[in-house]
Amino acid sequence: MKNYLSRRILSSLLAVIGLFIMVFFLARLTGDPGHLYLPIDAPLEVRKEFSEKHGFNDPIYIQFGRFAADLTQGDLGYSLRKQRPAIDVVLEAIPVTLSLAAVAMTIALFGAIIIGSLAAYKPNGIFDRISRVVSLTAASAPDFWVAITAILIFSVSLRWLPTSGIGGFPYWIMPIGILVIRPLGLLVQVVRGSMITALSSDFVKTARAKGVKEKAVIFKHALRNALLPVITVAGDQAAAIANGAIIVETIFGWPGIGKLMLDSILQRDFAVVQASILITAIVILSINIIIDIAYATLDPRIRHK
Amino acid sequence: MKVKHLSLAISAASIVAVASFFSPAYAGGKTLTVVLSEEPDIVDPCEATRSNVGRIIMQNVAETLVEIDPKDGSIKARLATSWKQTDNLTWEFNIRKGVKFHDGADLNAKTVVKSIKRALNPKYDCEARTKFFGNISVTPSVVGSHTVAIKTKTPQPIMPAMMGIMSITSPNTQEAKGERNPQGTGPYVFGKWTPGQSVTLKRFSGYWGSTPVVEDVMYVFRKESAVRAAMVKTGEADIAPNIAVQDATDPKMDFSYFNSETARLRIDMSQKPLDDIRLRKAMNLAIDLDALRGTIFAAGVVPQTQIVVPSINGHNPRLKPWPYNLAEAKKLVAAAKADGVDVGKEIVIIGRLGIYPNSTEAMEAMHAMLSEAGFNLKIKMMETAGWLNFLSRPYAEDRGPTLVQGQHDNNNGDAVFSMYNKYACEGAQSTTCDSKVEAGIKAATAATGDKRRDTWQEVQRRLHQDIVPDVQMFHMVGFSRVNPRIDFTPSIATNSQLQVSQVKFN
Repeated sequence: MKNYLSRRILSSLLAVIGLFIMVFFLARLTGDPGHLYLPIDAPLEVRKEFSEKHGFNDPIYIQFGRFAADLTQGDLGYSLRKQRPAIDVVLEAIPVTLSLAAVAMTIALFGAIIIGSLAAYKPNGIFDRISRVVSLTAASAPDFWVAITAILIFSVSLRWLPTSGIGGFPYWIMPIGILVIRPLGLLVQVVRGSMITALSSDFVKTARAKGVKEKAVIFKHALRNALLPVITVAGDQAAAIANGAIIVETIFGWPGIGKLMLDSILQRDFAVVQASILITAIVILSINIIIDIAYATLDPRIRHK
Repeated sequence: MKVKHLSLAISAASIVAVASFFSPAYAGGKTLTVVLSEEPDIVDPCEATRSNVGRIIMQNVAETLVEIDPKDGSIKARLATSWKQTDNLTWEFNIRKGVKFHDGADLNAKTVVKSIKRALNPKYDCEARTKFFGNISVTPSVVGSHTVAIKTKTPQPIMPAMMGIMSITSPNTQEAKGERNPQGTGPYVFGKWTPGQSVTLKRFSGYWGSTPVVEDVMYVFRKESAVRAAMVKTGEADIAPNIAVQDATDPKMDFSYFNSETARLRIDMSQKPLDDIRLRKAMNLAIDLDALRGTIFAAGVVPQTQIVVPSINGHNPRLKPWPYNLAEAKKLVAAAKADGVDVGKEIVIIGRLGIYPNSTEAMEAMHAMLSEAGFNLKIKMMETAGWLNFLSRPYAEDRGPTLVQGQHDNNNGDAVFSMYNKYACEGAQSTTCDSKVEAGIKAATAATGDKRRDTWQEVQRRLHQDIVPDVQMFHMVGFSRVNPRIDFTPSIATNSQLQVSQVKFN
């Protein structure tokens, strides 16, 4: 297990370094940040002076050398826009997204396991049919439309929930609800399919023949084996949310990493783009490692390979 | 029966309890909640000309020496009580006495000079410098305890108006770095900034002017217009200064106002075949502005004849918008073609995504109208970064003929803030170089009073009738939503600032 983990961490580290180099060069291909930082009416001399002062006129390899040297000191750069160290800006945003992702994925995962298992217990039964239609609709519903419609219904018409913002429990309901819909829809489908396969497997038949209680058959024998593909999809979905729940963050005014990354890209705030990507990459790779550990725990064959 | 009553009572109590638990935070009391579309990156007073900073800081936290009335461009006293030109290159401002900054420092000539020098420090890319003073050499100096002289290398007859964008900040403000806790002299003290969520202001008890009604202000930030509109509708916010036309659906709450923006297509006159004036005139004649109004554009927009809005000094009210005359447009195109002009050459419309509501649809409609007149066009809609490469110098040599979608904002009182950049030979966004326009810009910039106004008006006439550097579109309108508990009428100023001291409660 230790060796397995070390290999995974090392390969993740290499991926982060590769990603970082790529982001540095790709970001600079988009042009001089001075064009966006300065007002449209700024005179040409001011533009030149700005680029000179911030080193954007230097050859790209010199800029990279400077960046790499700073990085070795743990310095991820300074946000031109926000006039603050980029890492501070990113570290403010990441907990917002992570808390959204954690709550949404926990609800989606447990909800999907319950609904998917019940649907798989009697394939093509009433519950299965309803859950299939609802989960497929949920998986394909556009976030933006659902979010605005939810605000109009629950905030403007019914006045039950706040339109947006960060606060106590009521402020979490709509953002989390929107974030849960898609992963829940997808996961219900995966759990259902996986459970149907597991429930018709020989080991389940054997367990039933041996008189094992139905509850134990479903949740102990079948579910454990059905969980592997579920974990993979859940991991992907969690990574997607951690990468920035942009729509939810933008509409509900949650200052998370997705919104920050998008704004920084549009404003060519290179330092913040780089720091956001680095931190997000670390989070996603951590999620992947957790998934790998879960896999190895559930299926001993993996860690012995 | 009793059991039934009891269960009813318990149910009612539960509903009330749940409802109160879920009840959102509504704006109330003497606190004003403003929902803005964009959070500022920095709240330094010298960045207050940016609308997302200005709506929080300008004249609320930090004040200027003079104040430009955006309705008519007139200049009013604020921190300066009077001003005069002492010679061709020098202006003197008398500073108001007995004024304190929020941190306790005195407002006097020394602190004003320090604040101006800080804003113009080339080590900091403050917008006051990069946008307005980038190519002007300014030397402020102390003349008396409350008198400041501002000297320039070239005559600046509108220096008082230029001081209308220069916010004065405390002498204790850090140098060469954006401020996150600004200290000004305004009626409100900067409170707390929770990044990504809110900014608060508190009424300043030591303010030199009359005490405003609003005690506390909270600014929150929502990118989506529908959410901003919903927040005012539900009472979570009092003012949404900027909402999209499609969200302005409640006549009791929604106001439309001229927002000092002017929309156009900038014609690249340096490229063939657009160097032929007949084609430029044909383009203007081919656009049916009435068909665009109330459909793609808001009903309240006004066809423009020049880049500045009517309240700006130098606007020429005698000019008439181009009429829609497709037959005449076709005739001009045919005449140019007969003279060997390559009218079939592909012209690219460079659009900017989201520059104003329905910006893509506007370009598609204009593409159709221009094509009908005989032009060969294609549209490229771009993000700001790519679009700027076409709008501003240095231009790519192989760019070919383009029409660049643009929108210009000037509510600073005078046409000078528009004309040089847009139409001078070396202007950052100019593609024209006409000796009479050039001389006019130079003369108007150095003139004062009626002569200044008349010279600008002649430049506007020449551009409109003899040069035709733009496909002229509209003076635009903005929409605000205001909670009925508030007494506040949005105006042209709302585009860049929101003076909380002018807000009252009904």
